[in-house]
Amino acid sequence: MTEAVIQAQDVSKIFPTRKGILSALEIFSLDVHKGEVVCIVGASGCGKSTFLNIVAGFIPPTRGRVLLEGKEIQGVEPRCGMIFQNYALFPWMTVLENVAFGPRLKGVSTKRRHEQAHRWIAMVGLEGFENAYPGELSGGMQQRVALSRVLANEPDVLLCDEPFAALDAMTRQIMQQELLHIVHKSQKTVLFITHSIDEALILSDRLVVMSARPGRVKAIYKNDLPRPRILDMQLTDRFIELKREVWELVQEEVIGSMTAPRLG
Amino acid sequence: MDNRELGLWQTTVIGALGLLVFVGSWEALVRLGVIDPYFLPAPSDILRRMLQMATGPEAVLAHDIKMSATRVLTGFALSALVGVPLGLAMGMSHWVRAALNPVVSIIRPLPALSWIPLSMLWLGIDEQQKYAIVFMGSFASVLVYTTDATVRVDEILIIAARNLGASRLQTIRHVMLPAALPNILSGLKVVLAIAWTCVISAEMVGANSGLGFRIWTAKEWSDTGQVLVGMLSISLTVLILDILFRWIEHILLPWQRGATRS
Repeated sequence: MTEAVIQAQDVSKIFPTRKGILSALEIFSLDVHKGEVVCIVGASGCGKSTFLNIVAGFIPPTRGRVLLEGKEIQGVEPRCGMIFQNYALFPWMTVLENVAFGPRLKGVSTKRRHEQAHRWIAMVGLEGFENAYPGELSGGMQQRVALSRVLANEPDVLLCDEPFAALDAMTRQIMQQELLHIVHKSQKTVLFITHSIDEALILSDRLVVMSARPGRVKAIYKNDLPRPRILDMQLTDRFIELKREVWELVQEEVIGSMTAPRLG
Repeated sequence: MDNRELGLWQTTVIGALGLLVFVGSWEALVRLGVIDPYFLPAPSDILRRMLQMATGPEAVLAHDIKMSATRVLTGFALSALVGVPLGLAMGMSHWVRAALNPVVSIIRPLPALSWIPLSMLWLGIDEQQKYAIVFMGSFASVLVYTTDATVRVDEILIIAARNLGASRLQTIRHVMLPAALPNILSGLKVVLAIAWTCVISAEMVGANSGLGFRIWTAKEWSDTGQVLVGMLSISLTVLILDILFRWIEHILLPWQRGATRS
């Protein structure tokens, strides 16, 4: 097996709230290997976003640690590039300026960073939109810009926080295929959070089912569905069988979390 | 009911008609003797008086407008110069906000007029006193608008910038400032109108030039025409400054135009 790029070791996260202590994650452990696409599915509020924020270094874990290539993550980690659900593009910058933002911070010359940005923009199929502002683009196009902005910053890992959840079903399908295409071409490691089991089955090499809060690893599936996972594959018996299996696990947790007290 | 939005052409025509009816009936009421011209002169008389004040041997109008506008813009620039950086600091730091909020809360409700006695005592009635009045009357509002604009910057943009490798300082320069700019500018636009009320008050109490002074002296002479010319001049000057301000916004915020940059 290839080396683990991300190693989460017994990560727990507790948030103090007005009503008491909220345990978001509990001894959560997961290894993500180089070039692997790992999807985490779980009910809303199960702590999956918390985990992603810890990997990105936005918040520290209460206990345990996360290693990136063997070194503990301390503070914001630009090598883990984040794709957000609502794109988080800078509305006052053009597409080109958004994509060139990371290199600009590093002091790359205007000419070079614009060349690089043009390449990434072309890769996500947005040639001709370099001088448009994000507000002039559709949701799908904005998410492509966000993707190329992160890729232009050359991260080792892509962290995706339900990036396609706000898109319509058809755009979502296209974006999923494009993400896979780009990921395989650029050999990136991907940690992808979603509440859509279909999406997880289409994208992942491995699929992690999280328990309801506090989030723990409930099950890990090796996703052996053949690629490319186009529409035909999504109608095969194996796909439906896996989907049912995962759904049953998730359902248990959803029902469990609806009856459990919110704070513990 | 048909309530679609009107086009620019329609809005202009309807607006012009509305103005015409308003001014026309005013003129008629004075001419028919319903309104005593001593209390309210007819629009045509006001216009004649205005031309007189603009060109005739007095020719004070341009000078008055220049004096008032200079006072407003100087005082306004000073309060923006101090208020915007301080407001940014308040918006970004809970500590600065906690420290300054009580002082701001005390200063903010004070009308510009209430500063006139102290400012006259300290600075007499020369230009600095007018700047001080405008400054004191507008500074706290600049502070509040800027703080608010900074606090309202979408947290996700800051997180995204940090994730792309921005240091704290880079985040402030490349994200906080441009993200807060639209709201800061619309705040400043409101404050500019406040600054005008400050200067007119200050000029009415102690000055020998400016539109406020002109209106006040005209009242002493029962020159109602001149009072109204002064008032009209304030409206027109503020209107022109507002258009200028919009143009500056247009230049500074190209992304809010809904057009691609050429």
